[in-house]
Amino acid sequence: MSACLELTDLVKKFGGLVATSGVSFKVEQGESIGLIGPNGAGKTTIFSQIMGELRQTSGKILLYGRDIRRLSTPARIKRGIGRTYQVPRPFREMNVLENIRVGLMPDNIWKMVFEGPDRDREEELALSVGLSPGDLLRTPAELSMGDLRKLEMARTMATEPSIMLLDEVFAGLTKGEISQIGDLIGELRDDGMTFLIVSHDLPALEPLVDRCIALDQGRKIAEGPFDEVMRDEAVRASYLGG
Amino acid sequence: MAVRGRHLALWGLFMAGGLLLPLLVDTGIIGRGTLRTIIMANFLAIFAMSWDVLSGRTGYISFGHPFLIGIGAYTTAILTRRFDVAVEYSIPIAVLVTMIGGAVLFIPALRIRGSYFALVTLAFMELVYQLVQVIRPDLTGGTRGMSGIVTLTKGAVQGYYLSFTLMALLGFFLWLLMKTRLGTALSAIGMNEDSVAGSGLNTTRLKLVAFMLGAFAAGLGGAFYVHYLGSIAPRALFDINFVFTIIVAALIGGAATITGPIFGAFFLTFLLEYLRPVLPGAERYLIYGGIALLVYMYQPGGLHKILEVGLERLRKRANP
Ligand SMILES: Nc1ncnc2c1ncn2[C@@H]1O[C@H](COP(=O)(O)OP(=O)(O)OP(=O)(O)O)[C@@H](O)[C@H]1O
Ligand SMILES: [Mg+2]
Repeated sequence: MSACLELTDLVKKFGGLVATSGVSFKVEQGESIGLIGPNGAGKTTIFSQIMGELRQTSGKILLYGRDIRRLSTPARIKRGIGRTYQVPRPFREMNVLENIRVGLMPDNIWKMVFEGPDRDREEELALSVGLSPGDLLRTPAELSMGDLRKLEMARTMATEPSIMLLDEVFAGLTKGEISQIGDLIGELRDDGMTFLIVSHDLPALEPLVDRCIALDQGRKIAEGPFDEVMRDEAVRASYLGG
Repeated sequence: MAVRGRHLALWGLFMAGGLLLPLLVDTGIIGRGTLRTIIMANFLAIFAMSWDVLSGRTGYISFGHPFLIGIGAYTTAILTRRFDVAVEYSIPIAVLVTMIGGAVLFIPALRIRGSYFALVTLAFMELVYQLVQVIRPDLTGGTRGMSGIVTLTKGAVQGYYLSFTLMALLGFFLWLLMKTRLGTALSAIGMNEDSVAGSGLNTTRLKLVAFMLGAFAAGLGGAFYVHYLGSIAPRALFDINFVFTIIVAALIGGAATITGPIFGAFFLTFLLEYLRPVLPGAERYLIYGGIALLVYMYQPGGLHKILEVGLERLRKRANP
């Protein structure tokens, strides 16, 4: 069986800056991988290339063995990848339920018009990420950073991904919220979800991942079990330097 | 966002009131002059709604709306006046051709957003303006436009009925449509297009739908407008003042609401009418900026929002 997601020699250049420098790795179905590295290491850029929001300069991206480089972002989402954003990007004049509604929508104009929203499912998703019933009709401006991240998770889950790319899920969250999201990730893993998680909060990340990939200046500098990667000389140096 | 009984009742009331209004003319409570002003407001409401679907929702601000209205108006005018096509055919054809125009206007929206898109649409308007003057003036009437176009109504009362019915039905149709998830998706594009794509939706197709719907309404409005006026004057049609009237009506009424642009159109038309004795010239248009600014500072959601908040307060007072 082929890997669920496979990057081969991925390169992304922004003018003279090499944001992704020949990165290769494989993610197996049901695996959870931490993607770590100092600021500017190129973690978010890799997510954006996997989603098709940024076009890679060169290299390959395979999803379930299929080359997805020519697919649009919505087409990739339909094939089962979903991501959250480091800086949450909600629809600011819509309440929580309506935000989730957009994620739940089928990409079919006819159905959008003739089939009503699934209010129960919207609510279920909102509550499952730990938003409270009182939040459902709030707009993003009335939510805390933690709640915005949960909303981001809920909208991504609404598209029913089988692989989730989470970018800095824990930033700005309280201890309680971190464990709540951690539990949610655990439950989703039990259901077979595959994860690629970017986080600066290493203690929070550790229990959630099978292994880690460390990046520095666009380059993969280590890969392996969490402890091993943490002990790696290059990884330590990159964090100290960054 | 759900359609509520209360909303439907309001629409029913609005339509019934609108259809009964001419009775007030018979009894002399309102003059024929006022009725003619209302007719203008009805047409402006159609144009403002059509702009609202296309631009108010998606955030792709068009400064070239007369481009679409003009296609509808000229198509039916030429077909009926030069080729003796019956209006039953010419109007649907005009609407279809306008929708093709909508697709053409959509092409720049594939690549550009924001102010540059607005500029390009302005260029589109200027382009058709030049085209109708230069190519085949024998068909378009060139700079002087056309007159003697078939009219569908005689007198103010008939004109009123036609324009009101068209406006109310179109408004209700668009309002219902925008209450569905399609409306939600189009609004979402206006708020954050990337997140819509990130939710797995084909934003290109959604925007195309918005443009086609806007063009549909603009073409319908434009076609009926020429058959109400019986003439077409390119200088008044492809005029930046006309563009501003449409946009300001939609904005002060409340963008992305459909009903807002209707309020806005009536408000603006009557305002201009009452200002006419005081400010007869184009200075009146300066007032737009002022009014728009005032409404915006007080309530960016426009008249629609002001009314909504007011009603909410009344309801709270009634049953606290
Ligand atoms: N659109 C862009 N244009 C130019 N340079 C970019 C762009 N996006 C990212 N970069 C650069 O690419 C490098 C990698 O950025 P990226 O956002 O992927 O880092 P990151 O690992 O996610 O960092 P952080 O931990 O701060 O989120 C940085 O030097 C960044 O400045
Ligand atoms: Mg990042």
